[in-house]
Amino acid sequence: MGADLKVIGNADQDAQVECQIRDLTVIFTTDSGDFPALNHVNLDIIKNKITAIVGESGSGKSTLGLAILNGVAFPGKVTEGSVEFAEHGNVLKLRGKALRHFRGPVVGTVFQASQNAMNPLARVGKQILDLGRSHHYKDPRKLLHEAENLARRMAMDPSRVLTAYPHQLSGGMRQRMGIIMALVLKPKVLLLDEPTTALDLLTQSAVLEIIRSIHRERHLTTILITHDMGVVAEVSDYIVVMYAGRVVEQGSTHDTLRDPRHPYTRAILRAIPRLTGDLNRARPLEGSPPDLTQIPATGCVFRSRCSYRAPQCDLVAPLLESVDTGHFVACHQEGLIRD
Amino acid sequence: MIEVRKLEKVYPPVVGGLLSHNEVRALRGVSLSISDGGALSIIGESGCGKTTFGRILAGLESYSGGDIAMDGVALNSLPNNERQPYFRRIQLIHQDPYTALNPSHTILHAMAVPLRIQAKLQKKNDDWILNRSKELLAMVGLDPVGTLYKYPHALSGGQRQRVVIARALTVDPKILVADEAVSMIDVSMRLSILNLLSDLRVRLRIGIVFITHDVAAARYIAKDGELCVLYRGEVVEYGQTDEIIVRPVHPYTQAMLSAMPVLRGLEEAGPDRYIPLEGMDDFEGQGSGCLFAPRCRHATARCQEQHPDLVPWDDRLSSSSHHHACFYPIPRNVVARPINRENAL
Amino acid sequence: MATANLPTSHEHIRPWTPPTFWSIAWKALRRKPSRMLGLGILVFYVLMAVFGPMFYPANLPTNPANIYASPSWTHPLGTDFEGTDVLALIVTGSRYVLYSAGLAAFFTVGIGAILGLVSGYFRGWPEAIIMRIADFFLTVPGFPLLVVLSTVWNFGNPVSMGLVLGLTGWAALARAVRSQTLSLRERSFVEAARGLGLSRRQIVFGEVFPNTAPYVAMHFLLAITGSIYLEVGLFFLGVVPFSTNNWGVMLNLAFSQAGAMYSTRALPYLLSPLFCIMSLTFGIVLFLGAVDEVLNPRLRSV
Ligand SMILES: Nc1ncnc2c1ncn2[C@@H]1O[C@H](COP(=O)(O)OP(=O)(O)OP(=O)(O)O)[C@@H](O)[C@H]1O
Ligand SMILES: Nc1ncnc2c1ncn2[C@@H]1O[C@H](COP(=O)(O)OP(=O)(O)O)[C@@H](O)[C@H]1O
Ligand code: SF4
Ligand code: SF4
Ligand SMILES: [Mg+2]
Ligand SMILES: [Mg+2]
Repeated sequence: MGADLKVIGNADQDAQVECQIRDLTVIFTTDSGDFPALNHVNLDIIKNKITAIVGESGSGKSTLGLAILNGVAFPGKVTEGSVEFAEHGNVLKLRGKALRHFRGPVVGTVFQASQNAMNPLARVGKQILDLGRSHHYKDPRKLLHEAENLARRMAMDPSRVLTAYPHQLSGGMRQRMGIIMALVLKPKVLLLDEPTTALDLLTQSAVLEIIRSIHRERHLTTILITHDMGVVAEVSDYIVVMYAGRVVEQGSTHDTLRDPRHPYTRAILRAIPRLTGDLNRARPLEGSPPDLTQIPATGCVFRSRCSYRAPQCDLVAPLLESVDTGHFVACHQEGLIRD
Repeated sequence: MIEVRKLEKVYPPVVGGLLSHNEVRALRGVSLSISDGGALSIIGESGCGKTTFGRILAGLESYSGGDIAMDGVALNSLPNNERQPYFRRIQLIHQDPYTALNPSHTILHAMAVPLRIQAKLQKKNDDWILNRSKELLAMVGLDPVGTLYKYPHALSGGQRQRVVIARALTVDPKILVADEAVSMIDVSMRLSILNLLSDLRVRLRIGIVFITHDVAAARYIAKDGELCVLYRGEVVEYGQTDEIIVRPVHPYTQAMLSAMPVLRGLEEAGPDRYIPLEGMDDFEGQGSGCLFAPRCRHATARCQEQHPDLVPWDDRLSSSSHHHACFYPIPRNVVARPINRENAL
Repeated sequence: MATANLPTSHEHIRPWTPPTFWSIAWKALRRKPSRMLGLGILVFYVLMAVFGPMFYPANLPTNPANIYASPSWTHPLGTDFEGTDVLALIVTGSRYVLYSAGLAAFFTVGIGAILGLVSGYFRGWPEAIIMRIADFFLTVPGFPLLVVLSTVWNFGNPVSMGLVLGLTGWAALARAVRSQTLSLRERSFVEAARGLGLSRRQIVFGEVFPNTAPYVAMHFLLAITGSIYLEVGLFFLGVVPFSTNNWGVMLNLAFSQAGAMYSTRALPYLLSPLFCIMSLTFGIVLFLGAVDEVLNPRLRSV
């Protein structure tokens, strides 16, 4: 399948790759059968850039995020593939102490809905100290100092938020606290799963602004998982579009949004109502979001909703192939998709 | 026609416990009207009172002051038990389609229970209930036979929201209040739910109150409708949807519109777009002045002391319905514009 | 609203009937053989309690010449201290045990579920009062309370036994149902029901209750075993007068008359009621999973 796609180039010639994902396959075992939540995913995450992973619910975004941390748990299982980090090797081989040193100090993570996952009974500052202790962080005062700096950086009053209990903070503040907790250990990679989903637009735009500037200041490599094209467009440099456990399109955000080549990407962009311009351009996408239990084993995963479907789409799964420098699409009919 | 006059809502203080808070003034004299088949969108950040307003309209929450009039009948003049039939004709569509349907009952049951009440009133039999269920499910774009005997967990978010809408239609509502009705639905399904709502508006002349923070969705439901911007329980700007989007004059409206993401590559940001970071958590600051003053970058000494009332915005370009509550109204161009390209989507 | 010009796209009705309760139940049972075994055990004991006593005379014959007989063809489980057939004692004794335990579970669940629903849904003073009483029953240990009660009130017949066990046993269920109701009443489907004009009774019993039903039904089955232990315990201690034969009386007599602690000859007499209690409990535990699956649509694989 995707195995013959070994090298993924990118538009930016001297860009370095921070994380290289090859043939990653994750199978979920359930009562009603085995389903691939990720199916031969190939992906390069470019150093010091923001890569957005976008898809509808059930497309496998969070599973991909967990796999990057070697955190796929039962009933899921990585059955194939590798996640190679520069300087750390294949993360899927890490165990025990090495893994603990990787999660947190190397990759800082903000999980989906993590704003509700803080310990409600401990002050935020104490939770940060506990975090440091569990990673054998030597100097607690330095850690708090770092947290204070970050809080100030995110337009919060450190003396107030660090002494507060989580319920005393608003959703937006808790989300920013989550980012702070991911950053205090000074990781070089920041992984954010739906960092703005529960927030209102005003707070979302502020949090995105913060993510963007912190990313730049700290020379981070940021991976942002979201279902919202607007969020992708606002902050990311590269975009990875997922559908039913497969990468269907990837490339630089600017090029991909300007000239989407996969029927799904095109359809989803067209289905977003806009503030200005012609309303009649917006078209709903037919059919329902992917349900892994219904995805046929052969052929293109998107075909039940695709208006370009051809006979071979039912038989052969399309490979991710280069259509332009640094722009990859998995579609048999790609050549026909022009206006 | 529904008129809301000077609606007030004060949640009493809660003392003790984890959730203790002071008295909350959720609505501070909101006056609005919705015509039959009309569309009114209410936007504002979370906590500004949107949900409270919707729940009061649907009779699910009491109000502390003001009045609601339906087709000229002032509800305050009616005894409590006579208000219910009026409120029933305003149906709330909840944000979360996953909790809005009872997981223990089939879709048929969800439809049949309210229909049975109607059947009793209208002296209809059981066949009518079944047929009407199918009719309504078909109307919201579901396959009635395939859906009727399913449980909610077997439906996708979009399908559930359609069922919720069909269930609301069982009582022949005059108005549907859609509270963030698409925010928890997958992106690819949202547009078709919005289409359904505007379709009901045209076909059945049901008024839509669309509560959201996604202004683009509000515009999609009704370009010709009205848009109302709430800030801490107060209407700060009001007018025709497209006019407010293109020429907002209140700094808070401008902040809300600036926050709409720009699809880079397809759109360019408006020249006056501004995303404030400072003061984003500053909701306090009572005083007698403008409620938005602590966060407003255009605030002056006057704003700290005096309270701006809702007044018409009169310049040559605006229509008569455009109102605002700001001492220094200046139209600013904050929203993204499409980039012109030959092969645009 | 006009109903005349609506689309009638549902004319192509496909012949499809929803699964009935019984077909769902049958499927749930068939999915695991252990559930079938559990059901088998339950049915066996229920049949024994209903029809078994018909095969024996009202007063079982005694035979002083054949006491503590070992198991044989005529006495499969041996005989007791009076020479009465132990199998006959087990069979005739089962009726009291199951009847009163069933009643006790019925009262426990009925009282507990209704009070839990009412206090959780209506809040306010009903909740305060009900929960205060529930706390009383939860803090006072149940068995000693029953022992004390038995001294002032004769609950020797199965109905009063069931009633007493129900009246003292509902508190835990009421608390659990209340806390489930508290969270259910905040779900938007309850609010939607209010908005659609459903009556309070319809909301509490038609909308909220079905969501607690799997828990309540499981509690019912567990209350049966719990009640059996309690009543057998009471008879065993001898604090309740022996008006009829039952398993608890047998255990008591096995100890007091037969001295089963000291001699092995009464072993079948002692072990038979014990085995019945254990196997009944076992059957109920095996059966529980099926009940959950039948009442909880989310667990069903369609
Ligand atoms: N514990 C699990 N057991 C079984 N299937 C699972 C489990 N976790 C995830 N899946 C399945 O794997 C697929 C991908 O799930 P994942 O959580 O990665 O989706 P996602 O793209 O992050 O969606 P969302 O936008 O809802 O967060 C889904 O079909 C989901 O049902
Ligand atoms: N039941 C309640 N008790 C006390 N305060 C409430 C209650 N419901 C809402 N509020 C408060 O009223 C204000 C408006 O809330 P709401 O109408 O839910 O806002 P929105 O829908 O715009 O997010 C908020 O400050 C909120 O905390
Ligand atoms: S491969 Fe075929 S079905 Fe799949 S997206 Fe391309 S055209 Fe559509
Ligand atoms: S009145 Fe003053 S503080 Fe209020 S919005 Fe206008 S400029 Fe800002
Ligand atoms: Mg996810
Ligand atoms: Mg709300």
